[in-house]
Amino acid sequence: MRLSVVLSFLLAVSLIGCTKKSEDTIKVGVFGPFTGGSAPMGVSMRNGVQIAIDEINASGGVLGKKIQMVDRDDEAKNERGGQIMQEFLDKENVVAVLGPINTGVADASTQYPNQKKVPMIINVSAGAKVNELFKTNPENYVFRIAANDDIQSKVIVGEAMKRGYKKPALLCDDTNYGQNGREKMEGVLKSLNVKPVYIGKFKLKDTDMSAQLQEAKAAGADVLLVYGIGPELAAISNSMSRIGWNPEMIGSWTLAMSNYITNAGKNGNGTKMPQTFIEQAASTPKQKKFVEDYKAKFKESPIASAVSAAQGYDSMYLLKNAIQQANSTEGKKIKEALENFNAPYEGVTGTYAKPFSTTDHEAVKETNVMLGEVKDGIVIQATTPTKK
Amino acid sequence: MTEILQILVSGCVQGVIYALIAFGYNLTFSTSKTINFSLGNVLMLGGVVGFSLYVDRATGQLLGYPYLVPIIGVLVAGVIAGWVVHKFAVEPSLKLKSEYTWVLATLAMGIIIKNAVEQIWSTGDYRFPSPLGDDPIRIFGAGIYPQEILAVVVATAMVFGIEAFKRYTIYGKAIQAVSEDKETASLMGIPQQQVVKVSFMLSATIATVGGLLVAPWTFVSATMGTSLGTKAYVVAIIGGLESGFGLVVGGLILGISEFVTARYISSGYKELPGFIILILVILIKPSGLFGKKTIKKV
Repeated sequence: MRLSVVLSFLLAVSLIGCTKKSEDTIKVGVFGPFTGGSAPMGVSMRNGVQIAIDEINASGGVLGKKIQMVDRDDEAKNERGGQIMQEFLDKENVVAVLGPINTGVADASTQYPNQKKVPMIINVSAGAKVNELFKTNPENYVFRIAANDDIQSKVIVGEAMKRGYKKPALLCDDTNYGQNGREKMEGVLKSLNVKPVYIGKFKLKDTDMSAQLQEAKAAGADVLLVYGIGPELAAISNSMSRIGWNPEMIGSWTLAMSNYITNAGKNGNGTKMPQTFIEQAASTPKQKKFVEDYKAKFKESPIASAVSAAQGYDSMYLLKNAIQQANSTEGKKIKEALENFNAPYEGVTGTYAKPFSTTDHEAVKETNVMLGEVKDGIVIQATTPTKK
Repeated sequence: MTEILQILVSGCVQGVIYALIAFGYNLTFSTSKTINFSLGNVLMLGGVVGFSLYVDRATGQLLGYPYLVPIIGVLVAGVIAGWVVHKFAVEPSLKLKSEYTWVLATLAMGIIIKNAVEQIWSTGDYRFPSPLGDDPIRIFGAGIYPQEILAVVVATAMVFGIEAFKRYTIYGKAIQAVSEDKETASLMGIPQQQVVKVSFMLSATIATVGGLLVAPWTFVSATMGTSLGTKAYVVAIIGGLESGFGLVVGGLILGISEFVTARYISSGYKELPGFIILILVILIKPSGLFGKKTIKKV
């Protein structure tokens, strides 16, 4: 207890320190889950942003000012999303916001940037509403650099069809994220006239999925399409080994999380998922440098969630380029610059010529997505990115 | 057939674990009419202590110590946790005039344990490799992990061992005497306070051992005990807080009902039957399915 008092005192002191020098820095709010089951994604994302900020500051900052990160842990709790956003916008006066990871948290926070006219780039959450917000906010300040659930479900279902499966079973967690993914996958399947033979769900912290798997097996499923986060997805793989049933498993990009890969162990081999960045397949100089910098700075290899780290890094650079182009830190001007980039940006997750427009705030398209596969504790590339 | 067998196997394993933890509730209830609501988190503490003495958290590799080390570790952790909970949450509460302070005090103790583990240890989920291997054995096609067999054997042995201890040893009889009538037991020269304290230590040790047993298939995390602790309490109410036999039956009812529901109705309603039974039991037979029998027997 005493420790936490000291810590909060230190935090308070450092906050006072921050507000004083706010005039010569540009503040960027970064939030995500830094504790709990989603933490590998949140921490990796923050680290990715940190690398970008360090690089930018080392080369003189932007508009002659240094960038300063203000980070908050949302603990993957929906209500924390709104609270943190209010703190960012009302108290910290950040120029823009990057994050978060969890769909529910993102959806609970996106109204604030639109109210305050401060741009927000969602850099991991795949399920959050982005382009849907145009209906209520024609001047939408919410952007995304992450393969959204539409793209992911298309890739997941598409891959299953490409491999000739006809009887998919869907198994998704009961959070906003999992159920959103289930709905999208069902939609894609419907458009292809395929009916899932089984649709099941599970709760966070469930450890034995054998009942659901048996039902899927009894329904004659030939492929398992899953949506959830690391620990529970690992429980699915482990339960598959338990009941001795081994259909191919394809699912959300979170199957690349470290807590899936280590917890599933050898039962995770062969699992496939859409990825915007695969550490083992890093080929461009930019990607290789990023992986090396990450390893040197955070002493972590492989990266706990490489996709989150790469998207975090790219989101910071897109923001920096927009600020530079706008020659201002005013929200409206940054937004306009984001929507109308005059120079392409070559990032870790791909090259973005014109990532956003006034009607489309999704940077990642199907062409940016490749298929990853778990193999002996790491994620390798399963196929090259599909070309449109 | 294989499928039904698999459901029964999974359900029974889960049920026996519920019963074991419920037995922890039963022990303190019988001596002091109090329940240690932090038991779920004490179980988590067992999992975490066992994990820390057996696996390297950063790499997931074994530290190379024999499995005996984590076993001794969780036994010590259990005794200490039981002593601490009794000393700082239950004893002061029992001295107060307000009768149910211990409910909040033990709940608070559980939250403190959980937060401390989150702060000091980690908030992640980790895999605990079973000392018996992670490949399921097939019995008539149904998969069962060696660790699950071990868990069932150890849990059953502990339940029967403690029941035998209570019935056939002088110390056990002291516990029974205290649970029957505190004042009379004191008059007969039984150190009532000591008996209560020992029951807390024993109950917490059951939980920490339970944590070590379930860790290989639940993963180790600061939240691993939360739902187990709650469900074991449901089992204790269904089976009857004062009946050892009732707890086992209650555990099996809850464990099997969860798997049957998930398989044949919907995985979303998995926990529903257990809680419906709980409400029915409270309405119809508040002392639990086997509540009265043992009261007569003692």
